[in-house]
Amino acid sequence: MDLRFTEAQEILRKMARDFLTTECPKTLVRELEQSEKGYSPELWKKMAELGWMGLIIPEEYEGMGYTFQDLTVLVEEIGRNILPGPFLSTITSTFPILEIGNEEQKKEFLPQIARGELILTTALLEAEGTFTATGITTKATAQDNNLIINGTKLFVEMAHVADYIICATRTKNGESPENGITLFIVDSKTSGIDQEVIPTMAMDKQCEVRFENVAVPRKNMLGNIDEGWPIIEMLLRKGAIVKCAESVGAMQTCVEMTVAYSKERVQYERPIGAFQALQHIMADIWTSMETARYLLYYVAWLESEGMPCAKQASMAKAYINEVYKNVSKWAVRLFGAIGTTYDHDIALYYRRSKAADIAFGGTDFHKELVAQGIGLV
Amino acid sequence: MDFELTDEQKARRKEFFDICRELEKKKPPNLVGLETIYDHDECWEFHLHCAKQFAQKGWLSLAWPPEYGGTGNMMDRVLFAEARGYHGIPGVDVFGVGMLAPTLIQAGNEEVKKEFLPPIARAEIMWCELWSEPNAGSDLAALSTTAIRRGDEYIINGQKTWNTGAHRADWGFGVFKTDLTARKHHNLTFILLDMKTPGITVKPIPYMDGGRPFCEVYFDDVRVPAKNIVGQENEGWAVVNTLAGFERSSLTEIMSLVRALEDLVKFCNETKRNGQPLSKDPVIRNRIAQLACELEAARALAYRVADLQNRNEMALMDASAVKIFSSELAERFVFTVTDILGPYGQVKLSRWAPMGGAWEKMYQGCFVTTISMGTNEIQRNIIAWYGLGLPRMK
Repeated sequence: MDLRFTEAQEILRKMARDFLTTECPKTLVRELEQSEKGYSPELWKKMAELGWMGLIIPEEYEGMGYTFQDLTVLVEEIGRNILPGPFLSTITSTFPILEIGNEEQKKEFLPQIARGELILTTALLEAEGTFTATGITTKATAQDNNLIINGTKLFVEMAHVADYIICATRTKNGESPENGITLFIVDSKTSGIDQEVIPTMAMDKQCEVRFENVAVPRKNMLGNIDEGWPIIEMLLRKGAIVKCAESVGAMQTCVEMTVAYSKERVQYERPIGAFQALQHIMADIWTSMETARYLLYYVAWLESEGMPCAKQASMAKAYINEVYKNVSKWAVRLFGAIGTTYDHDIALYYRRSKAADIAFGGTDFHKELVAQGIGLV
Repeated sequence: MDFELTDEQKARRKEFFDICRELEKKKPPNLVGLETIYDHDECWEFHLHCAKQFAQKGWLSLAWPPEYGGTGNMMDRVLFAEARGYHGIPGVDVFGVGMLAPTLIQAGNEEVKKEFLPPIARAEIMWCELWSEPNAGSDLAALSTTAIRRGDEYIINGQKTWNTGAHRADWGFGVFKTDLTARKHHNLTFILLDMKTPGITVKPIPYMDGGRPFCEVYFDDVRVPAKNIVGQENEGWAVVNTLAGFERSSLTEIMSLVRALEDLVKFCNETKRNGQPLSKDPVIRNRIAQLACELEAARALAYRVADLQNRNEMALMDASAVKIFSSELAERFVFTVTDILGPYGQVKLSRWAPMGGAWEKMYQGCFVTTISMGTNEIQRNIIAWYGLGLPRMK
């Protein structure tokens, strides 16, 4: 057991921190929130030059061949600094291609992703707003060499700028909701696709994507027909861990900013950080952050080593969802009125904590998976 | 970053768990929570029985340097603590093995080490801690029990309190005021003493559940050889701080909760209410899942502390964090489980009590970890002042 980052991870961390501090100031974050695209193509290009999009793609597909754990190290830095844009949606959409994609699909997509030439996203949720299989009703019907998709997907991150959408569809009404789900890699420029950005708290460009008689070639099917649910489970598990890494990075900034401010802000002739009422709140948010951090590191290690960790990933997501919301809430409260303003950085984190909670499954969704995982019948 | 144990560690861990599983079969039914060893004769006997067995295997001196008979490997101690916690096995004197021995190794002179370490490793001497006083709790350095040097002896007068197991202990280690004029923190000496010395009176204090884990200890002209000190005279505060760093491993408590969770799941799967198992109730599922998540988080942080200690890096803030978190998790555990048990959550060990009556005991006993070894509020101060660098208001 050695819970230190490896030398390579330390280098990755430092490089990412320096890069994001310089290239992604909070003024840019707010600018991108208000922009139509929601990301900066120049920044995207620079990230691609650093190899970030190809971090976990094997070298034979022009990637860097890093581990899943290495990815979480990078994502923690991304969360720390808030990087708006399609990085996480692209990375997490790469997981199904890596795991279940056939050789042709890998050859077609992975090198382009690694070079930063493609933006990807995944469309899971629909009107019900649930990550369970019952929520998937968008139909895909076979017709010659194509499947025809009809339906509406919701909360699809960055779909308005995505080149491809990994779309979860229902191809059969099986004996259980999990049976009969199929995933497709859909070119977003195919006719019949229509997007609209949903206004959200984090202004993070989650979209409604409408599919009307959208023809997708059979070769773009991921895995076998009707057997897509285990891929979605994998995606939810890995996505949850990646999201946890982003949240842990973000709460680190919340704690650092709050502690620093409490040492500067003077009331009653002393820094407010000298008051024990506030000290104990800061000790508590720091403590909860540390528990979240090592739970994340543990789960990321399990996943990276290929060990079964569905239960632990759900534990981490359920737990870290709440810790991030609580830490950022207290951060705003300790800043006082100034922390509630649009121009204050701390509010950026608070607004994102809710988005982080929802992505890849909210707290109660994952707690039910935990209940099953620990053996409650 | 790697959480994997070596093959050797896995083998050691298996051996620890195997032995503790066997010992659990002989555990007295009224041994519920490790504090009860001080309470009932049969529990104390079982504690000594386990201690002797561990001593024979060299498990009481695991992390000690090889020259004092240890393996020098902190990780062994961590894995052993896990096994004992999971199976609820005593046999490790938290004061002698857990606190005094590492303190002696770090701060004691050669003579003191030679005299006191071997009987700890052989489970021959059980220790108690003589720190708190009626007017010196969290503000320990404000204590007033005096040890006045006269020739080759100290003469001790005053009163200590909240001394866990003092009525069972052979020896005690304490901190006493040895200079009546020096300023606070520069007037204390760390002294080891035989509890059978004339002039010592031990009075158990009834705990709220009727048990007697704690005592008051009175000193009336108690004469202690002057050589029985650790560190220098009037420099005992540094020794106190060293010892405070060797808190009981939170992993023992965390692993006891891991076991409790397994027992709870089994109970809910097997117990019917409203015509269906408790486990089908979505509220109960959600509440138990919450505990499971928090427990996994506590365990991960405890490994972080173990990893730091294993490399001899100080883990002050993280040790405080895991102490706060695991003890308060135990509180939440107790409140949740006793809610789920309904009217049975209040029943003492008897034929009406589910799960061996553990939860009635824990409901009252959960204060032991939140208050002792530096209250959780003091731990929060430690994190704020030393970890986050927040100003300390005088």
